[in-house]
Amino acid sequence: MHPPDALSAAFSALADPTRRAIVARLSEGEATVNEIAAPLPISLPAVSRHLKVLEEAGLITRSRDAQRRPCRLEPRALKDVDDWLDRYRRFWSRGFDRMDAILEELKREETR
Amino acid sequence: MSATLADDELLIVRSFDAPAALLFRLWSEPEHFRRWMGPEGFDCPHAEIDFRVGGGWRAVIRSEAEGENWFGGTYREIEPDHRLVFTFAWDTGPAAEVETLVTIVFREEGGRTVQIFHQAPFRSVERRDSHVEGWSSAFDKQQAYAEGFKGETAA
Repeated sequence: MHPPDALSAAFSALADPTRRAIVARLSEGEATVNEIAAPLPISLPAVSRHLKVLEEAGLITRSRDAQRRPCRLEPRALKDVDDWLDRYRRFWSRGFDRMDAILEELKREETR
Repeated sequence: MSATLADDELLIVRSFDAPAALLFRLWSEPEHFRRWMGPEGFDCPHAEIDFRVGGGWRAVIRSEAEGENWFGGTYREIEPDHRLVFTFAWDTGPAAEVETLVTIVFREEGGRTVQIFHQAPFRSVERRDSHVEGWSSAFDKQQAYAEGFKGETAA
């Protein structure tokens, strides 16, 4: 299991819509910085900053090939995020399912 | 009715046929909180809530198979019937060190309330604040989406 800081870093990295778009692009296959930046409406340095955040969060790895430096997703980190989301989604959803009946009871109490 | 509106963050939007004030009581009053709290197969035999900013809360869920699991946190923001922000962490187990931030926004219209629930791990004030900016604009989009719930019947 990844250390707790890694999970926080991953969530923090994914909280940004541009970085989520980058992760979506890399889910289709590895890409260079230029290929990633091409469809994005921000500057190349800004893209590089986002890539650095994703790399530090362990979500992507960047090859040391100086010419191409392709980036690729780190699937284990994303799986940890997915597992966390699934677990907590189930945890809360079951509870929220129970709320309707309790609310009906509270409404009846209020009209008595 | 329910919808998970984002695959990559824990955002759960539910619509309830009740005013926001009643829904808020389900979060703020321990006797009501423990009636719904808990996943499949668990009950919540005990909850304590010091419902004020800076106040703490604790609860335990219990199942035959897994015994008891205690969890809790601290309230960060309270706007009655409108917004609730608190930390959430497990006392023990592999997830014990991961502190998470829960943010709930309640939007009432015509006697129905949409509950927008968000939870994510955070590790420092700086990271949490940048995260808050990141999804607060997402909430405005979710509100526009959630307005669509008002025409639907309760599950």
